[in-house]
Amino acid sequence: MFKKFIKVAAAMTMCLCLTACGAGNGETSSNESNDVSVEESSSDDSAATVEDMAKIKDNGKLVIGITDFEPMDYKDDNGDWIGFDADMAKAFAESLGVDAEFVEIEWDNKALELDSGSIDCVWNGMTLTDEVLSAMDCSNAYCNNSQVVIVPKDKADDYQTVDSVKELNFAVEVGSAGAAEAENNGLNYTEVTSQANALMEVAAGTSDAAIIDSLMAAAMVGEGTSYENLTYTVGLNDEKYGVGFRKGSDLVAALNDFFKTSYEDGSMTKIAETYGVQAALIEQ
Amino acid sequence: MDTFIEQLPIVVHSLNIGFLQTLKLFFVTLIGALPLGLIICFGSKSKIAPVRFILKIFIWIIRGTPLMIQLLIIYYFPGLVLHNPIWGGDESGRFFASSVAFIINYACYFSEIFRGGIISIPVGQDEAGLVLGMTRSQIFFKVKLLQMVKRILPPMSNEILTLVKDTSLARIIALQEVIWAGQAFMKGSQGISGAIWPLFFTAIYYLICNGLLTLLLGGLEKKLEYFR
Repeated sequence: MFKKFIKVAAAMTMCLCLTACGAGNGETSSNESNDVSVEESSSDDSAATVEDMAKIKDNGKLVIGITDFEPMDYKDDNGDWIGFDADMAKAFAESLGVDAEFVEIEWDNKALELDSGSIDCVWNGMTLTDEVLSAMDCSNAYCNNSQVVIVPKDKADDYQTVDSVKELNFAVEVGSAGAAEAENNGLNYTEVTSQANALMEVAAGTSDAAIIDSLMAAAMVGEGTSYENLTYTVGLNDEKYGVGFRKGSDLVAALNDFFKTSYEDGSMTKIAETYGVQAALIEQ
Repeated sequence: MDTFIEQLPIVVHSLNIGFLQTLKLFFVTLIGALPLGLIICFGSKSKIAPVRFILKIFIWIIRGTPLMIQLLIIYYFPGLVLHNPIWGGDESGRFFASSVAFIINYACYFSEIFRGGIISIPVGQDEAGLVLGMTRSQIFFKVKLLQMVKRILPPMSNEILTLVKDTSLARIIALQEVIWAGQAFMKGSQGISGAIWPLFFTAIYYLICNGLLTLLLGGLEKKLEYFR
C-alpha cells in the first residue's frame, strides 16, 4: 500500500514538474517574442532601415553567401572564388572599401543565414521568386535565366513542347524556381534536396525528367560530364537573377547604384564576357 | 575511363580536405563528450534531487530531438533570437558551433552508457571497500572504474562508429566535411561538373576509418580481458 502511494506521488510530482517546466518555457518564449516584436516595431519606426553599411565598414568585410555554382561562383585552380557573381561581388566590396569574404552556405538555409547575421548577402545566381522576395530585400535584376526540362538524350525529340512533357514524372529541387514551374504547369513532381540530385534521379531512371536553371544545365549535362546521356529541351519560363540582403538593409540601394555605374562604364559587361553570360545580362 | 583517371587526383585531394574536417569534428567531439558524459552521469545519480531532475530532463530533450535540429538551433538561434551572431559566418565559426552541438549530444548518450556501466558493478564491492575503510572516490577510481571501462567498451564502440558517420549531419550548417566535398562535384567544382561518383566514393573514407577504429577498439577489448 505504502509503496503504491509513493509511486503515485512520484508520478504526480513528475507531471507537475513537467507542466511547470512547460509553463516556464511558454513564459520565457512569449517574453522573447515580445522583445522581438518591440525591437521590430522600433526598427519599423526608424524607416525600417538596417544599417548594414555601418556594420560591414566596422568589420572591414562584406560576407557573401554562395554555393559552388559555375559560372556564377566557383573556385579556380588556386582555390580562389571566381565567376561572374564572385567578380562583381569583389568589385562591389572594393567600391565600399571593404574586403569580400565568400562563405559557402547550405542553399535551403539562405534566409536563415541572412537573418541570423552570419552572412551579409546572398549573391549566387539567385532567381527572384516570390519566396525569395518575401524573405529578403533584393537588388535590381541583373541577369536573365529560364527553367529548362532535362530528359535523356534519346528521348529528347519527343519532348520539345510544354504539352508533351505533361505525362512525365519530374524531379525538382525543393523550394527552387523549378519546383514553382512544375506546380504552375500542373506537372507530376517529386521534390529532392538539390538540382544535382534532380539530375541524378533522371540519370538513374527514378524520375523521367528534371527541371533546373538553364545556366546550370549548360554546365552540368552533355559531353564531359557524368550526364552525357542527358540533354535539355523546352524552357518553361523567363526569370531573373538578383542579389539578396536582409530586410530593410541599406546595402540594397548601394548595390543598385553600383550596378548602374558599372553597367554604364562597361565593366559589368566585360566581366560577363569573361564567363560567357553577356547575352543574359540585363541593362541597369 | 580517361576522364576518371584525370578527375581522380583532383577529387581525392578535395575529399581529403573534407575528410580532415570530418576527423577534426570526430576527435573534438570525443575529447569533449567523454569527460562531459562522465560529469552528466554523476549528476544524474546525484543525491541532490533538483540536480538529478534537471539532468534527466536535459538528457530527455537532447536524446529526444534530432541532432540536425540541435545543430540548426545552436548555429542560428543566437543571431535570430538574440540578434548577436556569436559564431560568425566563416568556417571556423561553423566548426565551433558543430563541435558544441555534437559534444552536448554525444555526452548525453555517453552518460547513459557510463551509468549502465556503474550500476552493473555489484553493490558488494562498495560494501567491501567501505569495510576496508576506503572512501567513496577511492572505491570508484581504484576498484570500479576499470571494470566499468571493460563492460562499457562494446556499447561505446557502437557509439564511436556511429559518431564517425553522424559528423556528416554538420553539413546542414554548411560545415564542409567529406560528403559536402563529394557533392560539390555533382554541381560543378574545380573544372569537374556533373560527376556523381565522388559522392559514392566518400563511403570508402568512412569504411577505412571505421575499419581502423574497429581494430583499435577490438585490441583494447582484448587488453582488458585479463580480469573477468
